[in-house]
This record gives sequence, structure tokens and C-alpha cells, in this order.
Amino acid sequence: MRGIVQSEQGELLSGVTVMVENQDKSFTRTAQSDDKGIFVFPSLGKNGPFSFTFTVVGYEKKVLSGYVYANGEIITLSVKLHQTDKSLGDVVVVGYGTEKRANLTGAVDQIGTEYFDNRPLPSITRGLEGAIPNLNIIVTDGKPTATATYNVRGITSIGAGSTQGALVLIDNVPGDPTTLNPADVASVTVLKDAASAAIYGSRGAFGVVLITTKNPAKDKITVTYDASYSVNDRTVKPKLVTNGYEFVNYFDSAYYASRDYLLQPPTINSTLPFSLPYLDSLKIHNENPKLPQVTVNSQTGNYNYYGNTDWFKLLYADYVPQTQHSINVSGGSEKINFLVSGRYFNQGGLFRYNADNFNRYNLRFKGFIKVNSWLSINTNTDFSTYDYKYPLTANSGSSIWETISSSTQPVAVLKNPDGTLTQNAAASVGDFYLGKSYSKSGQVFIRNTLALTATVIPNKLVINGDFSYLNTNTVDNRQYFPVPFSNSPGVITVSGTNELSYNDSTETYLAANLYGEYHQSFGRHHLKFTVGGNLESDLLKKLMITKNGLITDQLQDFNLATGSNTVVSGGGSQWSTIGVFYRANYSYSDKYLLELDGRYDGSSKFPTSQQFGFFPSASAGWRISREDFMQGTKSWLDDWKLRASYGSLGNGQIAPYLYLPIVVSGVNSVLVNGVQPNHLYQPNVIPNGLTWEKSTTLDYGTDIELLRRRLVANLDWYDRRNTGMITPGEPLPGVFGAAVPSGNNANLKTEGWEISLNWNDQIKMRKPITYGIRVTVSDNISYITKFNNPTGTLTGVSAVSTTTNYYKGERLGDIWGFVTQGFYASQQDIASSANPSFVNYSQENIPLPGDIKFKDLNHDGVINNGANTIYNPGDQKIIGNTSPRYAFGITPSVGWNNIFLSAFIQGIGHREWSPTAEADFFWGQYNRPYAFLPVSTLDHWTPANPNGYFPRYRGYEALSFPRELNLPQTRYLQNAAYARLKNMTVGYSLPASTLQRMHLINVRFYFTGQNLWTYSPMHKHAPNYDPEVLGSDPQVDPSGGAGNDYPMLKTYTLGMNLTF
Amino acid sequence: MRLKNILLFFLLTGALSSCKKFLDKGPTSSITPDVAFSSSTDLQLFVNGFYNTMLPNADAIFGSDNSTGLALPTLYGGLGDNTTGAAPTYYLNGQFTSALESSVGNQWNWSNLRNVNYFLQNYNNPAIDSTDRANYSGIAHFFRAYFYYNMMKLYGDIPWYSQALQPSDTALYKPRDPRTLVADSILADINYACQYSPAAPDPSCTQVTKWLAYALKSRICLFEGTFRKYHTELNLVSTAAQWLQQAAGAADTLIASGKYHLHTTGSPNSDYRALFINETPSNDEIMLAAVYSDALSKWNDANVYFTSSTAGVRLSFNHNFINTYLNADGSRFTDIPSYDTIEFQYEVQHRDPRLSQTIRMAPYTQDGTPAPPSFAYTYTGYQPLKFCQDNAALNSNSENNNAVSIFRYAEVLLNDAEAKEELGTLTTTNWNSTIGLIRARAGITNTAMPTVADPFLINTYYPDITDPVLLEIRRERGVELSLEGFRYDDIRRWKEGPDLARTFTGLYVPAMNQLLDLNQDGKPDVCFVTAAPSNPVAGVFYFTIDNVTSKLSNGTSGTLLLQQNSPRTWSDYKYYYPIPLTEIQLNPNLVQNPGW
Repeated sequence: MRGIVQSEQGELLSGVTVMVENQDKSFTRTAQSDDKGIFVFPSLGKNGPFSFTFTVVGYEKKVLSGYVYANGEIITLSVKLHQTDKSLGDVVVVGYGTEKRANLTGAVDQIGTEYFDNRPLPSITRGLEGAIPNLNIIVTDGKPTATATYNVRGITSIGAGSTQGALVLIDNVPGDPTTLNPADVASVTVLKDAASAAIYGSRGAFGVVLITTKNPAKDKITVTYDASYSVNDRTVKPKLVTNGYEFVNYFDSAYYASRDYLLQPPTINSTLPFSLPYLDSLKIHNENPKLPQVTVNSQTGNYNYYGNTDWFKLLYADYVPQTQHSINVSGGSEKINFLVSGRYFNQGGLFRYNADNFNRYNLRFKGFIKVNSWLSINTNTDFSTYDYKYPLTANSGSSIWETISSSTQPVAVLKNPDGTLTQNAAASVGDFYLGKSYSKSGQVFIRNTLALTATVIPNKLVINGDFSYLNTNTVDNRQYFPVPFSNSPGVITVSGTNELSYNDSTETYLAANLYGEYHQSFGRHHLKFTVGGNLESDLLKKLMITKNGLITDQLQDFNLATGSNTVVSGGGSQWSTIGVFYRANYSYSDKYLLELDGRYDGSSKFPTSQQFGFFPSASAGWRISREDFMQGTKSWLDDWKLRASYGSLGNGQIAPYLYLPIVVSGVNSVLVNGVQPNHLYQPNVIPNGLTWEKSTTLDYGTDIELLRRRLVANLDWYDRRNTGMITPGEPLPGVFGAAVPSGNNANLKTEGWEISLNWNDQIKMRKPITYGIRVTVSDNISYITKFNNPTGTLTGVSAVSTTTNYYKGERLGDIWGFVTQGFYASQQDIASSANPSFVNYSQENIPLPGDIKFKDLNHDGVINNGANTIYNPGDQKIIGNTSPRYAFGITPSVGWNNIFLSAFIQGIGHREWSPTAEADFFWGQYNRPYAFLPVSTLDHWTPANPNGYFPRYRGYEALSFPRELNLPQTRYLQNAAYARLKNMTVGYSLPASTLQRMHLINVRFYFTGQNLWTYSPMHKHAPNYDPEVLGSDPQVDPSGGAGNDYPMLKTYTLGMNLTF
Repeated sequence: MRLKNILLFFLLTGALSSCKKFLDKGPTSSITPDVAFSSSTDLQLFVNGFYNTMLPNADAIFGSDNSTGLALPTLYGGLGDNTTGAAPTYYLNGQFTSALESSVGNQWNWSNLRNVNYFLQNYNNPAIDSTDRANYSGIAHFFRAYFYYNMMKLYGDIPWYSQALQPSDTALYKPRDPRTLVADSILADINYACQYSPAAPDPSCTQVTKWLAYALKSRICLFEGTFRKYHTELNLVSTAAQWLQQAAGAADTLIASGKYHLHTTGSPNSDYRALFINETPSNDEIMLAAVYSDALSKWNDANVYFTSSTAGVRLSFNHNFINTYLNADGSRFTDIPSYDTIEFQYEVQHRDPRLSQTIRMAPYTQDGTPAPPSFAYTYTGYQPLKFCQDNAALNSNSENNNAVSIFRYAEVLLNDAEAKEELGTLTTTNWNSTIGLIRARAGITNTAMPTVADPFLINTYYPDITDPVLLEIRRERGVELSLEGFRYDDIRRWKEGPDLARTFTGLYVPAMNQLLDLNQDGKPDVCFVTAAPSNPVAGVFYFTIDNVTSKLSNGTSGTLLLQQNSPRTWSDYKYYYPIPLTEIQLNPNLVQNPGW
């Protein structure tokens, strides 16, 4: 019995493993195809029918079954295998078209569905983290609605639009990946260098991410159903002291020390009275747990509390459930086919009371009609909606994490004996307990694209046109209802805001593209031209209404808000761009490759005289392995390509009206004649000749395929220069009286590299083990090469100033701070050391042994920050850098006999974090003495423990400038590098024979864990932080403290995947 | 192929249609300057912006005598000799420098001036009703005068600008203009405001009127007149009189108009405090106030400011200041022999009824519960209640709704009396119609003009003043306007800076380890000890006398002396605030005030 194996393109395939077995598996043999693609089995056993399984790296596994043969009959099989992703033969999505990977000359990376399959993700963003080198995804917290920034290759700009990430296109139209059903995604491509992104002109200056969704199948109708149930838990659970006596005792020490051991605290953050007798009775209560937790003070008539409350246990539920169902129906004929997919995702219950609840619904319809031999029509309709209920606190409007840090001392309790809430509870968890203050937000997203493809000259000229309409409506309704609480029996106080607010924003976006592609070949010369035009326009409208005086907490309607404080505000903006673009590809014998791209772009965001810009680029490739002199390497080197590209792009990703003087309007914060009227304020001052920021990228890269394509490696090195970034001009004297006009004033230089290595192979056995591993590493560093800061003033160590100051030569992310020499050992040590009077140690500023001793770097006998400039930094120096370096991803996978196992480890190789003032989970009572008492802060200096990690126990040290812990310093700088097991999946597919009996194509069961394991050196001293998110909750309060936000979750999922 | 051609035609023409028009996308929700001055409403909107950012809020007013921590002179005050805070201010303990001002201060801020100048350059659109234009320009001139008056108080000489500057203007780099030019320009502006601002009084006490302009004029001219008189180093003594005449003239115009009078209902034990704790300002006396509202959820934090150990500044009055309150019969408390060894609960009785409306003492209650001065919040024992409301819940919720006065008629009467006395023209009639009225409203029985100088005031406060009437006017100003933002201005113009370095003093302590019941409600409140006792009495605050930071004047008894180890010094260069170092670097023509 013999057969021949070839690729779909007709290329003969060698090294293919062919396994034959009969039905009862009593007979099994394997063979390999030779270099002509031929395989031979000398004989087959009895008891057919037989099935043949073909496996080889780079191609999809194929099973042919049901072969019956008579004894002695000679059969011949001819098999075509279908290529999988991750191969040079693969087709890669590029701007306005596709390109064979072999012919790419720019820095382009693409991944397929393997990063999304079998992972229940709120959005694909969570699946993309670390998957593509130098695609940096910055998530702010673990909330299901959390937005993420897509960044390509590091700091892109410090000027206008620096908060804008890469241009993300979903099926060629800019979109928000969070609205996407992860099961719909077919591939994600990142265009990293200027040459690849040039066709997107001014929109692509910060890189382009292309997400394509799955296309309809063209044969019989296939249905895929996927269901999963998950349980989530927090990745980090702060370890806090919850013993009331211990907490108050430490509180008293911290406060007392901050007042130089002269003044005992009168209260614990104004709600709980404090006195030494109270501390004594607390001790008695602690020793006799049977004593009541709440008593009534006979003198004041108020409650006294002796609790041991774990407030986070009251805040968080034990686990967070999550459910997902998705279905995909696809099929049709060559002429008409379609795809319908739907998904329901639910995540609920982070909080024990008034739990949040998130629902997302996705629906997609894709249709394809081949009208006649030259014309086809595509439609792509996407509908996505979510609703999210989220609890709020009425007392301050601050996030629960801020109120919980200031209002919930363990000694307080949730409820009084008569069932009323305590004042501490009312300001925090108690509000959740009553459940009357919450936000109900939602989004409706609709998109439709209608596209035509006309083959004007078969195999030569194709013209494409498409038109898209997107509408996104986001609504946030918030209700704040006052909370009753009681401080003494029978007396109820009500506090907090009573308010209903409605926040609506609607964005309408239109885009049209028209482009043609022309192919021509002359012998070994191949030419391809793509020429087209693009129009986009966008309109954003906002409406916000706030009214107070709700008469019921049950219904959210403005008819029931009877107060007199009504605030209505609007807002919005519009912009448009127009561009014509070209791409010319030339290749000679598939060996020498050249590509020229360019775009002439117009944007409404610039003054009329500066609206248009031309941004060209060029790239070239050389496939050395095709050269004659490389013939000797054929046996092990499959392909080797060198690439280079150079190009410049304009940054049009800026606020729409930067060039216009706008008269500022707003609502008065003070009352005038009984109301808060609107006002106008002088316009900003605009410089003449504001124009585009430019970014110019030089990129060198190489792609290598070795050992029969088992090893695929891609390397890129790049240098990017941003010029004319829009930043404030030369500082003007304060008498100018307005913000310094921003102009094209700053330059930035970024250098970086990225590597991705793929190894795929199989171990030949009776049932072969296939395995693979993908490793990616990327890095970049940015330097300021021009910035208006003649005095060299530093950001950072300053009490009031919050403006960011850069200086020429600065490496971005640098942390300026002091060098901690240790703790003062004795009074004598203090007296003989440099004068620290700049540093504030206490109310009276009297340092004591155990307080921090800073190093007198400039040997002037005084510890201070000099003039706080780079020329006179005093005793400051650069002590670290916050930029994430050496971002890596490791993706191993193994498969055997229908069982598969895969993992994904992601991390950052180097990064530093200097805990900010509000990092309560780090500083504990060193910040506000009435805040948390983390177990980690118990390791502090005492005469008996002179080598403790933290200094002498004093409150307020981290809170305000220039207290000893408020100054960034070496001792408390954290190494925030980490490695995290983002995903681990074990799955099992039913064997083909069973499936056949059940008339199913595929059934798969899987177990997935996400964020299961994390390693970070910072956990030694900052165990209460998740190193992946060190920010704050921007949705509630952007100025909130580090760590005070929606926690990251770890997820355990059981799922099933069914295809028929 | 025909269908194909038609389709291509439409696609191409669609794409190539006018690009320029397509790119014409202006703002949808904000306006550009060319349409910002087209109606009276627009002018009103700009003026609303002045109210929004150019007047002090409640905290700036009652915190104006701040003397603690980082507190520095501000546009609205910022220092005081009559109050104690947690620690001496940077300004006085030597830590403050012009470099520090660059990073912690924000006084050198000119955006409000540019906003007013921008308005004045553009408002004069002939299409707008001429009366409206005149009224709004009057208000704008009021605000420019107010801005420059505050800046001149802080810095002395300052550059005068009457135009909104552009980045290329060389005037950005000009030197400071002399005080005389600035003061004359302020006077021209305030005269303009007196002439053109709206004539009808504003019952809401939140808008600028002609009458408010006269009140500001009397304040400015009194400041400038006395400043020139006492700061002889300026060599402007000869010009002082004309400013004092302007001050008296403006006050007289306002008094003669009869639009305002002192608020009284005939209840001297509550009339004074009613001016400070009510949501609706008493518009018979109050001319301009920072107004708050429960209905609009706009609140101030007066109670928290004075009754929180962590959130507020905990300003407390010094004993010396309390001593300046007269007895209820009009006689001087400090004339009583051994007045300085009377215990708190006795010394506060039978005094000027304003005392019980200014500090906590018997019989003050909150929610019906006696509320004695609490050493958890006060440093000296003299705990202000002038702006605090009587609802105890407000002590921890920042939800005070009381209007806080910025201008009131009593000040105009005080300005009038002082200007005339400084000129030497004050008559008995004048006394009776100014200080006499204020004392009568306060409930003091004998309001006659004094004839004998008070030795206490001379010895403690004003060693160079011998005029008994002038001393009494200064006493009255301190008592009537306490915590309302006047004290530092008064110290500056009278050249009494050394007062700021005086020891902080608390109440008289008869003995150590003795339980004191400050409000005589039968429950002891405080006890002065060397160390906290092992079995303390519940509800008593044990105040540790460590003889380092706090002492008693006679060792184990006497007046409580505070912050003994914290040096405070005064030097005359501190009458002027330093220009931030960074500003001197940007414009070397701005020569720094000497001494900094």
C-alpha cells in the first residue's frame, strides 16, 4: 500500500508521519513520507476498515477513515494537507490586504486563535497580554469593564495624544476590542514599524493592531457550541491584623510617636473616640472574648466598640462565579455563505453585599454573496451590549477602597446590638450592606460594514470598496442614597449624598475605503500595486444630568428626584480625516523584496494651512537562503530572510481642537444669587504654526526557519525618533497669566528589540506526542532628546507641584530619590550625622533612634533636595526606573492521544516601584495611623529589633511631603518584576471513532486556570500588591491610592466545546 | 460590464468629492473668542467666572489667621498673632525661602488678572446695551482693584498690567512698578467701580454693587493710608493723609446712603453670632459672603475645622487676645487686679457678650448637651465657635451650610472711625455713630468714647500708640472682626510684625493634677499633669506639661505657655512676601524683595 502527501499548493511533503490502524486497533503501523512525499506500508493486517492519520509540523492533522480493502489489493492514496498558522507559507494580514509571510519586509507579527480558545475571557484584551512581543497591554484593574491601552513598542509620545495607544482595527475599522466576542477572532496582527503602518498614515503613528474575525465556512453547515463555568478568586489577599486591641494599640503608638510622644490621640479618625482607659478596657475585652463587642458608655451615652472585624471579609464574597455560552453557526455554498455567532458572558459577585454583576451579549452576522463571476458582496454586522451594576458609597463618592482604608478599623463593628449600622460601617461596607447606592452602566455597540469586491481583470486587478457605520452608546446611571447610622441607642443620624445622575455619551463613526490591487509579472519580476483612499468622520455627544433629593431608593427616575440642585452639562467633539495611500511591492525571484508605502493625509485636527501631510516609507528584504551559495544549508536551513525598513509617520491621534483658542466654559463651584451659574473664562493661548508630530522608525529584522521548520525565529531591532511632540513651550513668567502655549517642542528617542522563538515537533511513538514552545522577549528604552526645561527642574519630590517635568537626556521612567543609609542607631548618631532638618520626622520634627538616616550624597552636611533640579539635586539621585523592561511570554504546549496541555507564562523582567503616599497596603499606619495594619509592617525597628524593615513606628510618615517615608528612597524601592502563569489548560477531545458514531465533528472538555501562580521579588516586603496592577481605579477616582482598586482575579474554569 | 463601470464611477466620484469641506469640523460644544462677546448674557457669564475664582471661600476666611505648619501669607490673610495652631509657621521659624515658595506656594498666580483684562479688552461691543456694558465693566474694575490690592499687600511693588499679555510681549519681562503707581491705578479702578457698578443692593450678598465697591474702597484706602503712615521707610508719610481722607470719604458715602445697618433683633446674646451661623446671610449688614446651601449640597467645613484632631487646623485663641474683651459694662477686664490669675470659668463671665459668641464656654451646648472647650481640639482652652453650628453631627461631617461673610457693614464703620482718628478728625458724634453703634449692638452698656489709654493694650500690643481712642478702635477691630481675615493685614499696615513672634498663651492653670470643670456643668474636663495617671477619670483630657514644649508660667501653676521649644522670629523684611525663585530666574528684572 503506498500513498503520496502534498500541500494544498501541490508541494510534495516529506517527513509526514502516517499512522494506520484498524477498527479494533489490533493492527497499528506508522510510516514516514520520503523527500518525494511518498509513504509505503508493505502490508496491512486484517479486520478493516482502516483509518489513516497524517501528522506533520506546520500542517493540520488529517484523518482519513473507512478504507476497506480486499486481501492482496494494492491501494494508492493521494492526500493534501492544509497548512496551519506559524509557518512561512502562512498568509499574514497587513494594511489593506494580505501578504505571504515569506514576502514580508516590515516588522509584522501575527497570532491565531490558540490564545483565545478554551479561555473564558471578559474580552480578548486579557488573552493578548504578553502574546506578541512589544505589544504592551496596560490594564488598570480587574474589573470586567476595565479598559486597556494597547501600546506598540513602548513610550510613543510625551506630547499631545500620548495617552492614545496603537490604532486598533477590527476587520479594517477602528474599534474597541472589549466589545468583541473572543470566539469570533481569527487572527491578531501587529504592524510595528513605520513601513508596515505607513498605509494608515497619521492614524498609525503609534503602531497598528489588526484584528480579523472568522470568515464563514464554505462547505456544509457547522455548528460550534462552547460553554464554561468559572470560579474566580482574588490573586492577592492582603494580610491585615484584624484584632481590635492590637490594631488600636499600634494606632496609638503611631499617633503618639508622630506627636513626639506628647499627645495621645483624642479619636480614631474622628468617628471612634480614643483614650487610654479605653485602650485598657480593650485589652480586658481582648483577653475575655466572651465580653460583649458593643457596650454603652455611661457618661456619654454613646456606644463603645471592642470588635475584631475583618472588613475585607465583609466586603468580598468567598468566590466570584462566571458563566459563558457561545455558539457559532457557519456554512453555505461557494455562492452564498454566512456566519452567525452569539455569546453570553456573566461575571458576578465580587462583593458580599450589593454585589456587582456584569453581563455581556455579543451577536455577529457575516454574509457573503457572489453575485456573478466578478462581483461579490460582504456584510459584517456586529452587535454587542453589556450591563454592569456596581455598588457605590454615598458618603464621599470615593471608591470603597479609599473609604475602607480610612473608616473601617477592626475595632469597629458592622452593626450595633439594635441592628442599626455603626458610623464606621455607614461610610463603607454598611452602604453596600444596605445596597441603596450603586451605578448601573451599560453600552450598546452596533457596527455594520458593507463591502464590495470587484475583479475587474481576473488575476490582475481587484477593486474593493467598503462603507462602515459604528454607533456606541454608553450610559452610566448613578444613585447615591444617604445611609442611616447610630452612635448611641435610639439616635439615628443620616449622612451622605442623595443624588441621581445620568451620564450618556454617544459616538457615531463613519468610514469608507476604496482601493485596488494590481498584479503583474514579467518572468521572475513580480509587481503588485495597491492604491486607494480612505475617509473617516467621528462625532461624540455627551449629556450629564445630576439632580438631588430622591424620595425613594427603589426607583431610578428623575421624576422622583425632588431637590433643587439640578446640574445639566453637555459636551462633545467631532473630527474627520481623509487620505490617499499606495503600496508598491516588487520581488525578484522571491529573493529580493522591496516595498514602498506612503500616504497623503488630511486631518480636521490641524489649522487649515497645516491640515495635510505626506508620510512615505520604504522597506526591503533579502531571502539569503534562496541564494545559490546557500545550497549547502538546505538540509537544515529552510529559510533565512534579512529585512530593513525606514519611514516616518505623522501623529494625528490628538485632541480635536488643540489649534483653536477655546473659551472655557463651566459651572461655578460657588453660589451666585442662589444658584451655581455657568461661567466663561479666557481662552487658552495658541501658538502659530502648530503642526504634526512625526515619528520616524528605522527597523532591522531577520526571520529564520530551521530544522524542517521546527524552529522559527524572528528578531527585530528598531530605533524610533519622535520629533515636534506637542508640549508646553519655553516657560513664561507667571505674569503671563495663562498656560504656556503648547507647540511642536519636544523630541524623544526610543530604542528596542524583540525576539520570538517557536519550536514545534513531535516525538514519534505509536501515538505521537506533539509539543511546542513559543518564547517572546521584548524591550525598549526611551530618552528625551529635547524638552523645554531650562532650569532642569525635577518632577517628584515636591509638595504641591503635580506637573510633569522632563529634561533633556532623561531616560523615561527614572525615579529620583534619596539613598537610605539605615536607621539612626542612637542620639549620638543623629548628632554626628548630616543635618536632616529638611526631612520631617514628626510634628516637632525631632528625629530619634530608629528613624531613617539618609545619605549625604553631596557631602554638604545637610540632607535636602537642593534646588530640586538636575544641576542641583541636593542629595537625590536616580535610584530606579518604573519602565517595564524585558517583557516576556512563554507558551509551552503538549498533545498526546486527544489530550492536550498548554500553558502561558507572562511577565516583566525588570521594573521598579516606589510606593506612593497612598499605598495603604504597603505603608499601613505609617501613612494614616487609623488605616490598615498590614502584617508586613509589624517587622519594624524597635530597640529589640534594630534590623526591622520599616523604621521607628510613627504615623503620617508616608503621607505628606517631606516626611521621612514620603521621600522616594532606596530602602523602600520595590523590584516589581514578575512572572505570572496567565493560563494553563488541560483538555481532552473524544476520539474520532466515538465522534463518528455520535455524528459529531468534535467534542472537547477542558479545564483552564488563569493567573494561578505569580512570582515577584516585591512580594517579600509588599505581599499585598499584585505586581501587574499598581495603579488606581480610574473609573471611580483617578487620584485614588495605589492598590485601592478592583482586585485582579484568578480563575478556574470547566468547559465544553461541541462541534457538529 | 456596464454595471461594473457605473459602480466604479460612483465609488470614485464619491471619494474624490471636496476634501476641504469634509475636513471642516469645528467644536461642537464650546465657543471660540469671536462669538464670546455678543450679548449681555455673555458678559454676565464672564463676570460669573470672576466670582468663581477671585473671592475667598469659607476656609480661606476663617483660616485666615492660620499660624501653623506650612501656612504662609496668602491673598486673604494667612498669619495671625491672636491664634495658636499645631506648630509655628514656616514663615516665622526660618524654614521658608523663595526657593520653597517656588514649590509650595501658589500666590504668584496671574491668571485671574489676565481673565479680567481679557474681558475688559473685549466687552465693549456696541451691539450690547450700554447700561449693561457699564455695569459689567464696573464689576470687572472692582475685581481688578481687588486682585491688585491683595497682590500689593503681599509683594509691595508689582508690575501693573491692564492688557491680556501675549507670549511675545516684552512687557512680560518688565521690572516691578513702584507702589505709588500701583496704588494710584488701584484707586482709579475702584473709583470706576464705584461709579459704574449696579446701584441696587444685592439681597443674596453674592454680587458686586456700587455699595460694595465703596466698602472695598474704604478698606483699600485705609490700608494704604496707614501703611504709608507707619512704614516711614517708604518716605510716603506725606501722602498718607490723602488716602485716609479717601477711606473716610468712601465709608461716609456708604453710611450716608442708608442702604446698610448693623444687624440687630435686640438680643445681644445671639445677634452677633447670627451673622456667622445662618444659611441665609443677614443682608441688612452683610454685603458679600461665601454662601452655602443644603439644597444644593454646597457645604463648608467650619465645625470640622475647629473640632477635628486630624482634619482641621484647630486654631485656638491666645489668652492675650481674650483679655482684650471688655467687661459687659464697658469697663476693661485687664483693669481688674490680678486679672491674669482668674480661672477660665470665672474670667469668661460678665464680659462683652460677643465673647460667649466667639469661644466655647458655659452655657454653650450642642444638641442640648453641654459642649465645653475640649483639649482634644484646642491648644489653649479658647476654642472658637464663631462659625461653628450647633449640630454635633457636623463635627465629623463637613456639611456646614452657614454663609461666611467677606464684607460687612461693621467693617465700614470701623474703617471710618480709624481713618478719621488717624487724621485727627474723629468727633464724639463720629465715635457714637461708629464704634458706639458696634458696642451697643454687642450689648455693652457703656459705649462712651474713652479718655484714658489702656496700659494693657500698650504693653501687650501697641507700644508706640498713646492715643486712647485709637487704641480702643484697634481693640474693637480685633474683637469684632476676629477670624474674619483682617488680622494679618492690620499687623502689616500698623507695622506691628513683632507681635507675630509673641509666645502662644493658654488659660490660667491654678495647679497641677487638679481636675478643672471649664463650663461648670459638674463634669471635669481637663487636668494638667506631668504624666498620664494609671487610673484616669473618664471624660477628662490629661494635658502633659513636659516643660519642653509646654510650660506653666510659674512652674507648677500659671498661664499655659505653648510651643516653647519652637523658635519664631520676626524681621521687617517679612512684611513683603518673596517672589518665587523660579520667577526671578525667568525674569531677572523682577528684583527680589530685600532680605529673601
